[in-house]
Amino acid sequence: MHRTWQRHLNKLRWLILSLVFCTLILLPFFHLYQTYLASHSYDLLLSKEKLVYDTMESLTAPFLSDPEKQLEALKGTTWSGTLFGLKLSDPLAIVSQASAAMKLYWPFILTAAIPVIFTVIFGRFFCGWICPATFVYELNDSLGAWLRKAGLPISQHRMDRRLKYLVLGIGAVLSAVTGAVLFAAIYPPAIIGREIYYAVAVGGFGGGTVFFLLTLLFDLMVSRRGFCRYLCPGGALYSLLGRYRVFRIQRDVTNCNDCAKCNVVCQFDLNPLRDGFGQECNNCTACIAVCPTDALRFELKVKDAANRGPGHLGQLYRKQQQKSEKLEVQNI
Amino acid sequence: MDRRAFISQFPMAVGVTGFCSLPFAIARLLAPGVAEASESRIPLPGALAPHSDFINACIGCGVCAEVCPPRCIRFHMNDGGKEANTPYIDPAERGCILCGLCMKVCPTEALTVTPIRKVKMGIAQIDQSACYPWVNISLCGACYNICPLGSAAIRPEVRSSNRTAVPVVQSGCVGCGLCVDICPEPSLPIKIVDYSLSTKKYTEKNSEKYKVKLEPEQVNSATGELKY
Repeated sequence: MHRTWQRHLNKLRWLILSLVFCTLILLPFFHLYQTYLASHSYDLLLSKEKLVYDTMESLTAPFLSDPEKQLEALKGTTWSGTLFGLKLSDPLAIVSQASAAMKLYWPFILTAAIPVIFTVIFGRFFCGWICPATFVYELNDSLGAWLRKAGLPISQHRMDRRLKYLVLGIGAVLSAVTGAVLFAAIYPPAIIGREIYYAVAVGGFGGGTVFFLLTLLFDLMVSRRGFCRYLCPGGALYSLLGRYRVFRIQRDVTNCNDCAKCNVVCQFDLNPLRDGFGQECNNCTACIAVCPTDALRFELKVKDAANRGPGHLGQLYRKQQQKSEKLEVQNI
Repeated sequence: MDRRAFISQFPMAVGVTGFCSLPFAIARLLAPGVAEASESRIPLPGALAPHSDFINACIGCGVCAEVCPPRCIRFHMNDGGKEANTPYIDPAERGCILCGLCMKVCPTEALTVTPIRKVKMGIAQIDQSACYPWVNISLCGACYNICPLGSAAIRPEVRSSNRTAVPVVQSGCVGCGLCVDICPEPSLPIKIVDYSLSTKKYTEKNSEKYKVKLEPEQVNSATGELKY
């Protein structure tokens, strides 16, 4: 049987996630390198700074002719940044800034246009494909699996998934009341880039690091991927925007053999086995990668299919068929 | 969500939001050195005028710091509260060179592109009891030599009470803080103070009081600068 190419998307996703994370780590060093270049004073640098200079020079020299200017192309974090002169912002930044200032500033709102368009088409893709926190959370999740294997009692609470919409709403109201952009302090993609910059270029770390470590502990001890599932305000906003997304993962019921590997591998506790995707799916494609019969794949569809029952290759379906055949025989 | 579920989950959500302020306290305990910045904090160039408006507009992305060539921009890293993650400049550590890159790169209206002579970060005040030329110790002139705005912001003036020319802040000072950065006196006699508080109080009134009538041969007629 010719297998679908979509099962390789998960590897591509991991490549992109690690690239984004590595870039976020490198960006502060690039900035340091730029400032050293601008000062034209290699001999005056400390030995530590010389090490940074030499490393960055060896990294950039093969690709860039004028690193001081060309490195300006990539600045900022996944919260807000510039990419080759194009300013991009997280939609949550727009929501929180608009609610804090109580007025709209259109040049800033337009910076979120491209992410919003992509979210409307692909759903919550940012969470699965770009978010630097996802990279850490998924590694943390693997660690949790190892700990569970080692016999540590790790509880897996389930909460109401709608809690994150409440966090989004309360956060927006509190932003409006206090007049400060509060989401910046609790939104992991905003925290990570900023805290890496603090650690590398400013020295020390801020409250964001502690908050992020606490969410890691929460994921490990209380609920698997609990922060993304139940609490993340950005995830809530992306879920709302991607509710009527055009591309979505769908189950081909004729190919499904009810092995339920997709439900086990789904980090967001969705139910791909019975067509339960909903707006929460972050398109991580882990279920496509794990499916042995290629029953799951992306389709051009605006609405999820209703529960189509057991897969046609599974035992349950065969028993049901036999039962209905018997009934038919009896009826005749 | 029905009412009962809402009531049962509301305290938890409030708890979560309250919990979010806790990390700042822990971070302050773990890294106390970061919080101990000096008192001299000034806003960034082109920042929105009342500080509360600036906090409204700033999303804490930190791009302004990532483009800053002298790396003078610091952050309220673990202060918590409203100002969390917003940038400031500490001229005692490093002054702003008024390059304007942060204004260009800011995605929001927190920093608006402003001509450098119209920037209002504050205004320099010189403590005349500590400044070397003012107390007749030596000829220094570091502040007016480094000033990027030249004689419109700070210039040497000849006073009858002093042996050498003393630095006097003019109304064109935008408060970039390079003079604070360069000042050799360890007690930092120059302070950047809030623009609205000090413009009239110091520059105009005091400089009028101390102003000496210059003889025509003391001034270079072509450039208007003083001869020494």
